[in-house]
Amino acid sequence: MSVEGALSRGILHRAAAIIGVGHTNWVGDAERTKRGEKPHTGIGYAALAFLDALADAGLSQNDIDGLIVGPTVPYERMGEILGINPSWSGQADSGGAILQACMAIATGMAETIALVYGNDQRSAKVEYGGQNAASATNYLAYAYHAPWGMTSQGAIYALMARRYEALGGLTEAGLAQVSVALRASAMLNPNALLRNPLTVEEYMAQPYVCEPLRRPDYCLINDGGVALIITSAERARRVGNKAVHVHGIGRSDLNTDASSLQGRLTDFYYEGQRKAAAASFDMAGVGPSDIDVIQIYDSFSLHVPLALEGYGYCRRGDIARYLTEQGIGLSSSRPVNTSGGHLAESYMQGWNHQVEAIRQIRGACGARQVEGCRFVHYSADVAGKCVSIVYGPGD
Amino acid sequence: MGQSRAIRTIYDDPMWETLASGVLRLQQCCNCRSFRYPPGPTCHRCASPEHKWKPVSGRGQILSWVVFHRTYFDDYPAPYNVVAVKLEEGPMIVTNLTGKKPMGSWIGRSVELCFERHSNHGLVPRVKLAGDDHRNVED
Repeated sequence: MSVEGALSRGILHRAAAIIGVGHTNWVGDAERTKRGEKPHTGIGYAALAFLDALADAGLSQNDIDGLIVGPTVPYERMGEILGINPSWSGQADSGGAILQACMAIATGMAETIALVYGNDQRSAKVEYGGQNAASATNYLAYAYHAPWGMTSQGAIYALMARRYEALGGLTEAGLAQVSVALRASAMLNPNALLRNPLTVEEYMAQPYVCEPLRRPDYCLINDGGVALIITSAERARRVGNKAVHVHGIGRSDLNTDASSLQGRLTDFYYEGQRKAAAASFDMAGVGPSDIDVIQIYDSFSLHVPLALEGYGYCRRGDIARYLTEQGIGLSSSRPVNTSGGHLAESYMQGWNHQVEAIRQIRGACGARQVEGCRFVHYSADVAGKCVSIVYGPGD
Repeated sequence: MGQSRAIRTIYDDPMWETLASGVLRLQQCCNCRSFRYPPGPTCHRCASPEHKWKPVSGRGQILSWVVFHRTYFDDYPAPYNVVAVKLEEGPMIVTNLTGKKPMGSWIGRSVELCFERHSNHGLVPRVKLAGDDHRNVED
């Protein structure tokens, strides 16, 4: 591409590439925590994942000059343990971390950045509802309606699901197809926690947690860590062919009416998704039809239909037909969350989705590999904070 | 487990103080006239800090509803419902439907505010179906 062509896409277009991915043994640690053991703290999981990613990249600690830590680990202690005194640093969720890292690399603040995440949420008995609900200090909506018994992100998604289903013609059995498809993919993933089959009938037989959502609509809660090594595109080319480039990236936040939940219930994040999608696809120079695999942040099953409509894969209001006819499983033309995602692989708050995206493009996914996978789209819309990333091959 | 807790900053206090007398008042911007909820220091539409506390009509429509089948608070044993109600004035509140329950979908049903006493929070605003002669639970 010409210099002018590249500039018209923005300076983040293919500025950075991921050259290393790593994670902890989710399955083994889940078995240990189930027995009441405490294998590691969040920092420990992050450190182990970092070593794994570093080895994958073929680098040493001394090659790292930037560090971003996830929201669940303290920055200073993390850097101290990893032995990294970086020229640039930050703390962010998975999508935000990729975006910030691309910006730091494009502006020359750092060349090779480690992104590390660790969470001991299962062994630490972190609660997502009730009096001590996690994240309530950051999101007023998670705590403000407690005097009426309203609590937990699951209940918020249940409120959204009820209205979304009523407006869009999706039934509970229709939504079940999301959990069922992701479980089927997870069965081909040795790193996935849930590898027993799930049918629509079995889903429908499950009791409600917060009606209309059932347990299979909720993500797992488990311990673990993930790390990514991201570097300049130039250096990535020297490293070799395992590099996966960030072709496009965009963000759009919906804060209006977030605390009352009115924003979610009237627009279902659509405006934010539409803007983030446009920014990332324009930057990448590809569109939804070029995408081979979609990775959707799925703390709840409902995220999948919302994202398919919001990011332009499915006409609004057509989701019931899309899920039935097109489908999202490995045999569909554009599979979603090929690892099983948060519902069936591991709840690493978007970080494991990056790992799966990279591995699909590398062709390293074994039995669940999508043949000829070139472009993977990652999207997140947690609480209306929409992040969209288009990953693709190098030269 | 534990009890549900209200978040009461200095911006919320005036609302809770009048709830105790069975009136829901929300802030109305003096500049652009829009109502806001939860209460806050400035108007999210026009940024004006000038506001007055105005009682709302109490009329609204249900946007969505759920039924909790799991208990998270001692003072809210499952099953119980939570409804999202769009008030005539614009803001949406999250509350509970008391009294008669509609057959079929609750979405779009007209409701009106009523007040019920809660063990920790005093009088809290809830809603009942418009025209339901359900008696407010008052001590």
